[in-house]
Amino acid sequence: MSTPYRLWEIQERSNTGPQCDEDEFLSKIFSPTLQKIVKKYEIKYNPKTPVPADDDLADRVWKAGWELFQEVGLYNTDTHRIIKVSDDEIKEALYVAKDQYWVGAGKDAVLWKHRKIEDREPPFCLFSPDCTCSEELHYSMCLAYLKEPLLDGFCAPILEDSIGLKIRSGSPFEINACTQHIYNLRLAAKQVGRPGVFLVAVGTAEHDSGQIAVSNENWGVRTTDSRLIGTLTEFKTADTLLNRVVHCAQYGCYVGNLTGPIYGGWCGGSEGVAVTLVAYSLNGLCIHGAIYNLHFPFHLNLASNTTRELLWPIAVAGQAMARNSKLLYKSGGYTNAGPMTEMVFYEAACHALVSTVNSWHLWEIGAARNKHRNRTTPLEARIAMEVGHAVAGQGMTREEANDIALRLLSIYEEQAATAPLGKEYQECYDVATALPTQEHFDMYRKIKDELSNMGIEFLY
Amino acid sequence: MNDIILNLKKEILRGEATKIKELVKKAIDQGLAPLEILEKALRPAMEEVGKKFEDLEIFLPDMMKAAEAMTAGTETLRPYLGPGNADIKKGLILLGTVEGDVHEIGKNIVRVMLEGVGFKVIDLGYNVPVLTFVEKVKELNPDILGMSALMTTTMVHMPRVIKELQDRDLKKKVKIIVGGAPVLPDWAEKIGADGYGENAGEAVNLVRRLVK
Repeated sequence: MSTPYRLWEIQERSNTGPQCDEDEFLSKIFSPTLQKIVKKYEIKYNPKTPVPADDDLADRVWKAGWELFQEVGLYNTDTHRIIKVSDDEIKEALYVAKDQYWVGAGKDAVLWKHRKIEDREPPFCLFSPDCTCSEELHYSMCLAYLKEPLLDGFCAPILEDSIGLKIRSGSPFEINACTQHIYNLRLAAKQVGRPGVFLVAVGTAEHDSGQIAVSNENWGVRTTDSRLIGTLTEFKTADTLLNRVVHCAQYGCYVGNLTGPIYGGWCGGSEGVAVTLVAYSLNGLCIHGAIYNLHFPFHLNLASNTTRELLWPIAVAGQAMARNSKLLYKSGGYTNAGPMTEMVFYEAACHALVSTVNSWHLWEIGAARNKHRNRTTPLEARIAMEVGHAVAGQGMTREEANDIALRLLSIYEEQAATAPLGKEYQECYDVATALPTQEHFDMYRKIKDELSNMGIEFLY
Repeated sequence: MNDIILNLKKEILRGEATKIKELVKKAIDQGLAPLEILEKALRPAMEEVGKKFEDLEIFLPDMMKAAEAMTAGTETLRPYLGPGNADIKKGLILLGTVEGDVHEIGKNIVRVMLEGVGFKVIDLGYNVPVLTFVEKVKELNPDILGMSALMTTTMVHMPRVIKELQDRDLKKKVKIIVGGAPVLPDWAEKIGADGYGENAGEAVNLVRRLVK
């Protein structure tokens, strides 16, 4: 928590903040306020330029996001009250926030630093399949990801079953599954020789009881690891989420603020998504005590974020936060296509390129819209992270990124709605060795060469 | 006559509830049949809104405003419809997000789109306990029960609801549809649901087929 002494003052606002009926919050407060602010700051999406290089636009998006957060606040669905944060409190939290943190432990600890637009420092690469997976594949998938050379941190796939039983949120089955999840993670990390690696865990826990049950330095989630605290779409919370805020603050682990503003939903279009991303970052800092944000804006119909109407807000919000804060923020990718398709590699590359040049750190990548069990592999994340390192290393400008993004979009964008599902993990990885099949690796290698020909200077 | 129909459609699309009330009264004064206003202006306009939203030519706040205008229009019309026509609906739909799950945007979109095309929808909200679904099916006798879930760890409540309905001999009296991010057609089939919608538009079409 960046302002720890305010923890209880802010929590208390769940009881004392302005009252509002739940049905009214989004339609009467959030949406009209956002529309008014987008208009006031003259924020306009241009589909021809998915990566704009307009500093004034970025600064207006920052101001708009600030104003949105301050005016709207965060709605608690359990108390029907709005938690509001004052202008001075936002300023204070931004001042107190650190621009870098050591995360992970021992030799595996990594210094995670704020990035600027067109920064030459590589992004912090957090590999995350995000999808659900079969119990029998969970450990192998953990191993496969943890073998990735560019991995700075890891968030494992989510279990659906544990000891053959379906997991039900809030039940004993979930607590049992969370234990299995973290044991798999910790053992896999040890086996690959990265025992202290930064973990974001455990995604299997939907309920706070599952999260809290696995806080343990010896076998569970450590204080050098992180938890994600989400927000309900849009700008709503519940006690089950705020319980995690208090637990994480008192346990002492790192908190990430998890948000997925929806293009086409209450945010409206790309402009609204960009403003909401900034506002959510302030929410994470001030209310969740987050040291970083994980944002995964997505398309209402496609549930992905590799098309231009999502790349634009990612680019613009990144610029806004880079120019006006020292926050840490990760760009979470969701592709349309599934593993072992050429399209998934192009999408992953484009998401990483746009995010990295516009100051984001990377959280890659949920394939096949993150909807299908076992349908994500480390290789599509690998290409994204390699692109991130490459474009940072070569000091790629926004204009150059825009040109390459347009070329990549021309390859896959028309197929977004009909993207191939690809294959499941066990069809393109050897489950025992946790290594890609030759066919899968060859496809990755081919696309990497094509990306290189487009001007991405891979470092190896 | 056609002008006022066109204007009604236009104001629904613009989400102008106040203007819709005025126009409905004006249409009645000009001698238009209440049912004609409903069937030729209001409902087709909401169909168009639904289609535009499906294609994301408009966004959720626009659709919600249009839905408010539609409600204003039908409420204004209500006194003029005969007793038998006052609640002309295509069917009764019961909706809810399952136990343990507080995500409801998808379910809410389905609700608005169903209402827009003339179904009566009773929305039980989110985090709906298994037995509440059962009690409401028994009490309200809906044509369709729709359940939504965002998490794999909450969608497991869907088969629990279905089993409780079966055990009470209620399953055969209602069609069950399911949806939500982790839900797929094979899951719907496995748990004995009658249908699955990939998105809100599909859900509306599915309901139309099932209620026929």
